[in-house]
Amino acid sequence: MKRLEKALRRVQKPGRYTGGEWNAVRKDWADIDVKMAFAFPDVYEVGMSHLGLQIIYHAVNMRADALLERVFAPWTDMEEQMRERRLPLFSLESHRPVRDFDILGFTLQYELSFTNILNMLDLAGIPVRSGDRAAGGYPLVVAGGPCAYNPEPLADFIDVFIIGEGEDAVNDLLDAWLESRRRGEDRRRLLLRLAGIDGFYVPSLYRVEYDEKGHLEKVTPVAAEVPAVVKKRVVADLDGAVFPTRPLVPAVEAVHNRAMLEVQRGCTRGCRFCQAGVIYRPVREKEPQTLVRQAEEVLHNTGWGEISLTSLSTSDYSQIKPLVSELTGNCAETGVNISLPSLRVDAFSVDLAKEVQKVRRSSLTFAPEAGTQRLRDVINKGVTEDNLLEAVSAAFTGGWQAVKLYFMIGLPTETDADLEGIASLARLVLERGRSLSRSPGRVKVTVSVSSFVPKAHTPFQWEPQDTMDELRRKQAFMRQRMRGRGLVFNYHDPESSFLEAVFSRGDRKLSALLESAWRAGCHFDGWSEFFDFDRWMKACEAAGIDPAGYAQRRFDYRETLPWDHIGAGLSKKYLAREHRRALAGEITPDCRTGKCPGCGLCPTMEIKPRLAGGETVAPLYDSL
Amino acid sequence: MHRYMIRYSKQGPARYTAHLDLMRELERSMRRARLPVAFSEGFNPHPKLSIAAPLPVGTESLAELAEVEMTRAVEPGLMAESLNAVLPPGLKIREVMKMDDAAPALMAALERANYIVQLDGEDLSGPLPGDAVREFLDRDRVEIRRHGRDGKEKKSDIRPGIVKMEVLPGDDGLLLRMELKTGSVMNVRPVEALTALLEYAGIKADPADLQITRTGLFTAG
Repeated sequence: MKRLEKALRRVQKPGRYTGGEWNAVRKDWADIDVKMAFAFPDVYEVGMSHLGLQIIYHAVNMRADALLERVFAPWTDMEEQMRERRLPLFSLESHRPVRDFDILGFTLQYELSFTNILNMLDLAGIPVRSGDRAAGGYPLVVAGGPCAYNPEPLADFIDVFIIGEGEDAVNDLLDAWLESRRRGEDRRRLLLRLAGIDGFYVPSLYRVEYDEKGHLEKVTPVAAEVPAVVKKRVVADLDGAVFPTRPLVPAVEAVHNRAMLEVQRGCTRGCRFCQAGVIYRPVREKEPQTLVRQAEEVLHNTGWGEISLTSLSTSDYSQIKPLVSELTGNCAETGVNISLPSLRVDAFSVDLAKEVQKVRRSSLTFAPEAGTQRLRDVINKGVTEDNLLEAVSAAFTGGWQAVKLYFMIGLPTETDADLEGIASLARLVLERGRSLSRSPGRVKVTVSVSSFVPKAHTPFQWEPQDTMDELRRKQAFMRQRMRGRGLVFNYHDPESSFLEAVFSRGDRKLSALLESAWRAGCHFDGWSEFFDFDRWMKACEAAGIDPAGYAQRRFDYRETLPWDHIGAGLSKKYLAREHRRALAGEITPDCRTGKCPGCGLCPTMEIKPRLAGGETVAPLYDSL
Repeated sequence: MHRYMIRYSKQGPARYTAHLDLMRELERSMRRARLPVAFSEGFNPHPKLSIAAPLPVGTESLAELAEVEMTRAVEPGLMAESLNAVLPPGLKIREVMKMDDAAPALMAALERANYIVQLDGEDLSGPLPGDAVREFLDRDRVEIRRHGRDGKEKKSDIRPGIVKMEVLPGDDGLLLRMELKTGSVMNVRPVEALTALLEYAGIKADPADLQITRTGLFTAG
């Protein structure tokens, strides 16, 4: 305790490590059968803004026989103190060493947090490689979250991956662990037991073979009870699923300091670059009365002055209008604000924003993603120029003076004409703003371009990423065309997008790269002040890895992909068909409109989309 | 106007809550307690709540003061009770008092603060000589270096801001009680006074090892 106090007095934000927040759960360690630590491999403020953490925290802590405590990546000042004072990584709730827990679960939100996982294991005094943890009574190291859909780069470090949604799976994990202990099983028996549960992937129970070129050839289970393809977990009844109405309220201001209410899960619009659209299928809406009740509880239990209606595309929620009306009515008396973080590009969405935002403080954000209709058809982004102009016109007449537009560069089939398209679209929006706004001089259009990263399980999974030189050329091309008053141009550094692509399509051989990069000092790679590309390239050399072979190579349809044994529910045939349709510029409509494009999810998962009121299909506003 | 003065303690994990985070925490707590807090007018309304003297991160306090305005009268005892039911561990309301409409703002009226400072023996290069404090206080000037708003270093004399300082009996290390000027007219931080004392006595210690507790805040008069 003394050592901890001394460390805390020497760091910038000690509140990141002390716990004691409102709604934090403290349980008596001695009374609990199974203890789990939830590890977020980034700093407190980032991790505490994550709804998944709140859901799992609630799901585990509502059990009488289990507890879940949190741990985040210590910031560098704290890491220095911990290493100097030999203070092992500890949990926020009980300040116990993470090493003392039965299960340590990491959440995988983005590829550039992977080195932090290794660093946290090391700070906890746990060997980073699972092979070195067979004996010694170390916690079972588990990982889940979106990046678990291509778990291979982490295969050497993680004992078990949970593929898909965690609400039910985490209970299966705890039950299996308890049963295994009752029977006195060793680590290998426990792993075999877990591998038999839907959604549980134990990488050490698969043999991986490569061809003479070093490309992946075959991934085969080593035991009969281990499935060839691990099917993702899906919560069929989202409306009835556990939802944290007593969420933790961060004491140190988090990135998002507000209540989060998930109105639906999944999006079937089918943008061909989007991994979330695949892995969270099918669409499951919650009932509006459930949401109204949960909103009231969560606001009362936290005291937050703002509630955010979250989902992949909140304006697609079929009952959004009545929901927003009812919530604005309830919130008006208490002065609570409602925010809609993911708006579709159309006038309908702006009307919603107008209803919730009485004071037009911030800007409105839209994501047309590509600059020409041709390319928007390629990526299946069902947005037209008219949609965008309608949306921004409504925004400018509605009182907003600033609009943010998100685009991607480096998309398949992109030419300079598509980049010109972004610039002319931005100018069109700016002109529209100046003609409609009440203070034309203050109109601002911010264009942010990110670089396309091919993602596993999407129709674009076979596509190469542009070289870094090409991305830089495109950024320079854009920058030249984005000069002028009222225009702001932002873009990402191509190096981190490149590394993201390497890991998003990487295989098991990248475990060696991760370890050598981490040993060389790479950490917090998602933070520009710590990202050290040269160090990464040296680590590639040391590990004998050609990173471009992962990021910039066109994968073949016939190849075994590193994530083929992970089942997201969509057939590979469908993805290939979507890929070919993309190249031909053919669009595929959303299945909610009633026409099933045959992605294969419903029969594979034995599930159906579920809309509020029990419908499975409903017309979408923009297809009326 | 319904103005209230709140006296509260900030200990345990809450002592690591920084000033702005504490403001937000108190605002949320008042919402949780469903208290009728008054808000400012304008585009970005904020609660009419102010903390008399911001406390450095890591410093404990047994007697912090805040001032809050409500839209209607609330019985002080009830306010304390309903807030205590919804405050996170380490924050506790000790007393709520009705303030007179004409009373000056707490922040402006503040004059002095009391502190207890502790240093463990292992964190000190040696014991403090018995008469060190008396000799230190006998000096006319105690100059320290401070960073001005412009970032430049300048010398300040903090002697007039040290009202009292005495060593308390303790088992090990150093235990001191201090009364320092605080507020807008003259403000001396406990770490400044103690660092100056140790420097004068020729004892080495890392200011980060000081365990400081504010035990009282006093207005003029």
